[in-house]
Amino acid sequence: MSQEIREKMRVLIAEDDVINSRILEKNLLDWGYDVVLARHGEKAWQALQDQALRLAILDWMMPGMDGPEICARIRRRKKYQYTYIILLSAKDRKRDIIAGLSSGADDYMTKPVNYLELRARLRTGRRIIDLEDKLLATQKQLRDLASRDSLTRLWNRAEILRFLDEEADRSRREKKSVGVIMIDIDFFKEINDRLGHDAGDQALLRVVHRVKRNVRSSDRVGRYGGDEIIVILPDCDAERIQKVAERLRRAVGGRPMKYDGRSQRATISVGCAAATETADPRTLIRRADAALLSAKGRGRNCVVVEGVSGTPGKERQNDQPSKRQTR
Amino acid sequence: MINRQNARPDNPINYTEVLERIGGDTEFLEELLNIFFLEFQEKKSQIEVALARANFSLIQEIGHSLKGASANLSLPSLRSDASALEAAGRDKNIERARQALISLVVECRALHDFVRKNPPQAQAQSV
Repeated sequence: MSQEIREKMRVLIAEDDVINSRILEKNLLDWGYDVVLARHGEKAWQALQDQALRLAILDWMMPGMDGPEICARIRRRKKYQYTYIILLSAKDRKRDIIAGLSSGADDYMTKPVNYLELRARLRTGRRIIDLEDKLLATQKQLRDLASRDSLTRLWNRAEILRFLDEEADRSRREKKSVGVIMIDIDFFKEINDRLGHDAGDQALLRVVHRVKRNVRSSDRVGRYGGDEIIVILPDCDAERIQKVAERLRRAVGGRPMKYDGRSQRATISVGCAAATETADPRTLIRRADAALLSAKGRGRNCVVVEGVSGTPGKERQNDQPSKRQTR
Repeated sequence: MINRQNARPDNPINYTEVLERIGGDTEFLEELLNIFFLEFQEKKSQIEVALARANFSLIQEIGHSLKGASANLSLPSLRSDASALEAAGRDKNIERARQALISLVVECRALHDFVRKNPPQAQAQSV
């Protein structure tokens, strides 16, 4: 549980009886909780739309909507973190308790409330919320591990392809172009062979650092494989992609970088492609890859841009025309 | 701990129990009792209207509400009468409902007198 939650957790008290509500409020405030009050079922439901309300004490009988109905609604909703519910009722028959818990309540207390018991039960609720928070944090960590490259912390190939698919969909919907930049570190194999893999890793990390600093926060940078870096650029046409690619080339090769304990120069070759209404996102990668190959063929440390789709709604069938080269 | 006289089982309020429930705060108890007396007057009028119209579901509802409030304030006689009112409403028995209301009014007056003579603050002094 985060420190913030531990110190000031907010609790909803949904109770139409003024006296019980006041006693609950006083005790909860004394125990260090923040309190939100509702004296009507509908108001309680409205208050529970606030994601920060994770603990709720609901009276069974309330005007508007009763406690079990609120429990059932809470359990039906998606995309909310868990809300721990204690249902209060004067109903103390077994079948009432079973009905209350079956509606989705986590706990059930009969009135008049024993406050030492309530305090302990609220602690139980906090423990459950704490566990859920930890579980979600672990899930996020695992998701992150599964979608990042372990060395560079860039998006891995699967994740970057998924992102490209999303962007291609969006470009079709919004009739905007999407760009792909493929980057290859020049003579990377020689760095590895000559200086060792540690130095190669360092060089790769330096290049990645410079690339990331020169793209927008909306662009996605991934490791496509080996020393190949890929950048997906939403809403980016051929003219703009060339400027970005040139900026990246200069950012990497324009000044020396430190790896293997000394200052050395590394350059990159860059291939780009951009398209509107991309039918197959993989085609865009193939075109950027072909442009990269072309850049390498032209002596490296340069940018080659493949042309934009000439006809909206159609992919270019061959990747030959409109090559632009800058050095 | 409270005055022995005030802890008698036939007293209209169990100070020990209710003060334990609210952390011994006698001022707060006085506030709660004032709320209870005000609400009682309001509910008494509602019950009279409900009796005149034979609105049993309302009688049951008000009985339930009074039962909860008196249980929270540890008012055993009032709780018992409120429970009788709730049951009368549930059973649609107008005569028992009338009797329960009369009894509730008597008990509430007795509680009022008792609290005036033995205010919550006096309980703190005896701790």
